[in-house]
Amino acid sequence: MAGFGPDRSPVPFAPAARLSSAIAAAGIAAAATSFTLAAPGDGVGVEIGEPLVIGALAALVTLSYVLCGLFAWRRRPESRFGPLMIAAGFVNFASTLVWSTSDVPHTIGQTIDLVPPVLFLHVFLAFPDGRLKTPFVRVLVATTYVTAIVLEVLRMYFGEFGPHNLLQGTVNPTADVVIRHVQLTAVSVGCLAGVGVLATRRWSAGRPLRRWLGLLIDAFGIALVMIAFLFISAAYGGPWVAQIRWASFVTLALAPAVFLTGLVHARLARSSVGDLIVALQRDLSPAALRDALAQALRDPSLGLAYWLPAYGTYADVDGRRIELDSLESDRATTLIDAEGGHVAALLHDPSLHDEPELLHAVTAAAAIAVEQGRLQAELRARLEELRGSRARLIDAGQRERQRLERNLHDGAQQRLIALSLELSLLKQRLADNPEATSRLDRATHEIALSLAELRDVAHGLHPAVLSGHGLQVALESIVARMPVPVRLTFSLEERLHERLEVVAYYVVSESLVNIAKHACATRATVAVAREDGRMVVEVVDDGIGGADTERGSGIRGLADRVEAVGGRLRVWTPHGGGTRVKADVPCA
Amino acid sequence: MDVVAQCCDADELLSKVNTDPVDVAIVDIRLPPTHSDEGLRAALDIRSRRPETGVLVLSQYVEVGLAMKLLADSADGVGYLLKDRISDVTEFIAAVQRVANGGSAIDPTIVSTLLSRQREDDPLDELTPREREVLDLMAQGNSNQGIADKLVITLRAAEKHVSSVFTKLQLPSTGTESRRVLAVLLLLRSD
Repeated sequence: MAGFGPDRSPVPFAPAARLSSAIAAAGIAAAATSFTLAAPGDGVGVEIGEPLVIGALAALVTLSYVLCGLFAWRRRPESRFGPLMIAAGFVNFASTLVWSTSDVPHTIGQTIDLVPPVLFLHVFLAFPDGRLKTPFVRVLVATTYVTAIVLEVLRMYFGEFGPHNLLQGTVNPTADVVIRHVQLTAVSVGCLAGVGVLATRRWSAGRPLRRWLGLLIDAFGIALVMIAFLFISAAYGGPWVAQIRWASFVTLALAPAVFLTGLVHARLARSSVGDLIVALQRDLSPAALRDALAQALRDPSLGLAYWLPAYGTYADVDGRRIELDSLESDRATTLIDAEGGHVAALLHDPSLHDEPELLHAVTAAAAIAVEQGRLQAELRARLEELRGSRARLIDAGQRERQRLERNLHDGAQQRLIALSLELSLLKQRLADNPEATSRLDRATHEIALSLAELRDVAHGLHPAVLSGHGLQVALESIVARMPVPVRLTFSLEERLHERLEVVAYYVVSESLVNIAKHACATRATVAVAREDGRMVVEVVDDGIGGADTERGSGIRGLADRVEAVGGRLRVWTPHGGGTRVKADVPCA
Repeated sequence: MDVVAQCCDADELLSKVNTDPVDVAIVDIRLPPTHSDEGLRAALDIRSRRPETGVLVLSQYVEVGLAMKLLADSADGVGYLLKDRISDVTEFIAAVQRVANGGSAIDPTIVSTLLSRQREDDPLDELTPREREVLDLMAQGNSNQGIADKLVITLRAAEKHVSSVFTKLQLPSTGTESRRVLAVLLLLRSD
């Protein structure tokens, strides 16, 4: 049965290719057999029309139901509808055995002669998932089956059907006519009741734009009305029995084709899921997501509700609380699951349950989108948290360094200076003792060295000039200490937050240290400016380039500092092409 | 030399200087309450409001940037020294006196930092080692006599070196010692 298109979504319950081929072959064989039985005209009663036409139409109906049923089964393995149609096709074939001139096949065919119309009723009412949904429909179909078979057997018993009927017990035309009238009338009423059910269902199909379903119902309705008319006509001697029989055969044979149209339409609907997934690639707001889902499901009334774990309730896209349990009866709910829990719910038209495939696909896509949105929000929150904690860490470190520098400044350094002064005064007292003065000189010299070292340590901890006198003064000082000519361009008008100044200071000082140590540069420039609410610090040299940005150069640490204040550090360092370090930091 | 007042913060210093003029104020660059730039601001304030008062700023670090800010457009009566310098009492008192008399006292660290910079077409390359020594001392604010004493040469020899330095660096020969301090520092600071 490869001819009906490749199966793109193999599901465990789908018929295997070999089984499908066997069923298709059996269907073709059955159709051929029906036609062969009808063609000689021996078993076909003259009252039902031209044998060749009837045979061909019966074969067409069998073939139509078996093949379309097979297609439906493969497309929707979870639905009983496909197997039901296949069964209808084969039962239709079995009922044509009545045209056989052999006793046993003829008797079998005669017994189920009226079952096909009831099966068609069953098929129509079971569309699209193969189940009879309400008790009334189940009773209706069951009663009609019983009527069709039991009363047929009674008619056979009372000798209506001639010499090949093995069930004939007696011949009683009076009883037979009564039974026949009752039977045909009952089956007709069953069919008309079925039409009523279909019409009701259409009436309540609701807002979704399911025109194809309407089309199907109309087609089915016509077939059932014709069957009813046919039986009434046959029972009470009405006109056009043969023509109506032909017409109803044709309609019945076409119904599966209409059903196939519905299936293809469902497949098209799934392509709207493709569009939905494309739409989901954009970062959709909840309202836009609802619109996209509504379009994919073709249900303009669709509602999207998010589960709010913090509140233990659902809320719609505008944040209004929604109780799923107390929804109006014309609303159905499909829950969207992710990571083992409900994350959202679709509130939709109940008729969407007729398209479980589409609903399932859209729900899955929505789950991805909702989950993605949730993950993104969570990620953003984490990132924000991380950024904050990194900034706090750096701030805390900076404060601690500042405190240590201050302690050194006010403590050890001050004491050493006092000591040095004391020694100097002592030296004046001991001016006449050369040995003592020379020892004092050495001691003073040691203290001077200690002070110089302490100064370096303290300065390394925190450049006090920066907090006291601002970035420009601090940068001028480090630029002045550079062994290579450095041009400083500083165009900030006012002081920035100290955190930013510290970042800029370290970007410049680290870069200049790298230039002095590694770059072999002959000159460098330092520029600090404000551009569009960002502080831009740029250090460029004309050295050998090729700086190691990961180790040793301190650039990794610089990048950490810059990123901690929400900025970005970039380094261009081609071999032989100098090095350019550029930091930009929001400072609005 | 008399110590006429001791102040514990910038406000007290400014009011004292304003009410009872002094020859020179010695100011720590870090003063209460924030210990950031109060001392420097007080120094700049005195310099702009009472130019006749000398200001000697002491600090545990000397920064070229701060020196240039302090000098701004004049080196008259201004000094900027590391706190360590007070232990060389003689030298320190000489510096205080220079500043009190309208001269300058710039910390040797600052001058040597500036001197060690590389410049493109460095005019300092023209100088002899002795002339560089003279330039160094000149930038610190020493008078010709001070230079002569430190280098143990005659005043005349010192004057000769100074004039040679001025010629080689194409500096205008200006009158006072503090003016030449500023001129030299600006030259050293330029690229």
